[in-house]
Amino acid sequence: MSVKVEVIEGGVPHNNILIAGLVGTLVCIYLTYLNVLTGTELFSFFGGLAVVAALVWGSHTIKVLCSYGIGTGVPSAGMIAFGSGVIAMLLATRFGIMAPVVALVLAAVIGFILGYVSNNILNMKIPAMVQALTEMAIVGALTLMGFAALITGGFTFAGLTSGSISVMGMILPSYQASFIGGGLIAVAFLLGAIAIQHPFNATLGPGWKQDRMLMLTAECGFLSMIVAAVMSFALISAVAALISLVVAIFGWIYTYQQYMEMSKRDAAAWLDAKPIPDVEAH
Amino acid sequence: MEHIVFGIGITALAGALATVAGSAEDTESNIGSQGDPNSQVQLAPQMGFLHRIFNKAVAGEPPAYGLWCCLGAGLAWAFMAMQFNPVLAIVLGCVLATFVQGVYATTAYVGRTASLAKFGQPVYVDILKSMTSVTMAHAFIAIFCTVTLCHLINTALGHPFPLPLLGLIWGIALGAAGSATGNPYYGKERQYQNQKFGAGVPISASGNIVRFAEAGERNSIDNGFFTHKIGGSASGICFGLIVFLELWRTVLFEQVSAGWGAIIVGVLIILIFTVIDRYIEVWARKNYGPYTEAKEASS
Repeated sequence: MSVKVEVIEGGVPHNNILIAGLVGTLVCIYLTYLNVLTGTELFSFFGGLAVVAALVWGSHTIKVLCSYGIGTGVPSAGMIAFGSGVIAMLLATRFGIMAPVVALVLAAVIGFILGYVSNNILNMKIPAMVQALTEMAIVGALTLMGFAALITGGFTFAGLTSGSISVMGMILPSYQASFIGGGLIAVAFLLGAIAIQHPFNATLGPGWKQDRMLMLTAECGFLSMIVAAVMSFALISAVAALISLVVAIFGWIYTYQQYMEMSKRDAAAWLDAKPIPDVEAH
Repeated sequence: MEHIVFGIGITALAGALATVAGSAEDTESNIGSQGDPNSQVQLAPQMGFLHRIFNKAVAGEPPAYGLWCCLGAGLAWAFMAMQFNPVLAIVLGCVLATFVQGVYATTAYVGRTASLAKFGQPVYVDILKSMTSVTMAHAFIAIFCTVTLCHLINTALGHPFPLPLLGLIWGIALGAAGSATGNPYYGKERQYQNQKFGAGVPISASGNIVRFAEAGERNSIDNGFFTHKIGGSASGICFGLIVFLELWRTVLFEQVSAGWGAIIVGVLIILIFTVIDRYIEVWARKNYGPYTEAKEASS
């Protein structure tokens, strides 16, 4: 009962954001494959850019879905996106270079089934449900794959489950020092799940503006990329991790400033240490 | 015998850390009006009650603290993998996680308030500055204590899960404890001090939260100051007991019949607490009167 939410009016149509997000994410994930081709880890930061692109698309999907009055369900939408996405992502990593495409297809199937179950068996009857859950499962899977590429430099199962530790000068292989074995996938899961739901959750209300929300999504994406880049120091070379960190910090500063400017533009007033203004009704 | 004594010592230490974490978590979320009291803070301007309360809706407390603690643990794990000293690694990880929490808090407050422009609710920059820093300080204590207890569980008690996964589990538990225990005290008692005791929140009073303090206008630090006395302490005891009893039953009874001993003791503890809860509920209903009759409820 808290806020009246309306269906989108004006702004960029959802389908344009969908196509741009999907293409941008896939291209960025595949650009991390340059690591394999060139034999370095310098292109890992494209994984972080894939995360930002996927989140922008996903947060707008949440906006479309939650326009049908799912007020308190905004954070849970992020959880279901990643809960369904992680299954597809893990399975897809077995397919080598085809992994991102396989993740997309698998996530679409899982999301479609979940949407069908919610709408037709649980009888939620929300018009956008099937499409939105399909999209969000894809976003979840591709975001996790982007984080995996950012932190480990690759998106294949072998790379995600094996690392190395140095014991008394000797380099030993270790499953514990890896993206999945070390539990970093849990961090990626929650970083993405909170970042995807926060933009709409934080800007909903009668004064919702599309550009402000999408800028906030990019900000959340770059913020997540900063901490993910810090974690990547443990698994990839310091130079590669430093490149990711610098890209993330510049992206974050720019988007944060833009978001604050847009909030200043939309706010009723921007006051510093002033009392509550008088309102006639009370 | 020796390892059981050692285990009980670790259990006590983890319980103490959890108590501090729970108390800090509840105070942090109350200053940010996070969790269910948030809906009334969000609603108030729409009913014409402009206010100077901080409105930091990141998510519910369990997912939000799941992220902060998981992130702190993940960063600490990464720093330890880089051969940092564990103490330094945990502190650095928690500092970065607190930075993320602070950024999320500012964007949530600014975004929510800007979307309420139609009702004339201004963004208060002084609120943003002073409340965010106070919530970050409390969040750091909560995250640090939780990540430290996860590290103790992992290294001292030999739990097989990696540190980030423990951070996720105990972070969600921390948020749930603070949300379930502390929030009613803030949401029902503090925001609605002006209503009859035990009246709940009648529809006619929706959004009419207390906006003025003993002197001047109330802000969220006043709320944190107030709720820390009882709501924060209760949340601390709640989370402390959860961690302590959970580890205690595992350390003492894990060897009994191949692990089933710990599970049976866990079920017994739940039954005992169910009986205690029921007794307190009946006692409270008897002493504070029935609240089922409509004529008494609507004052």
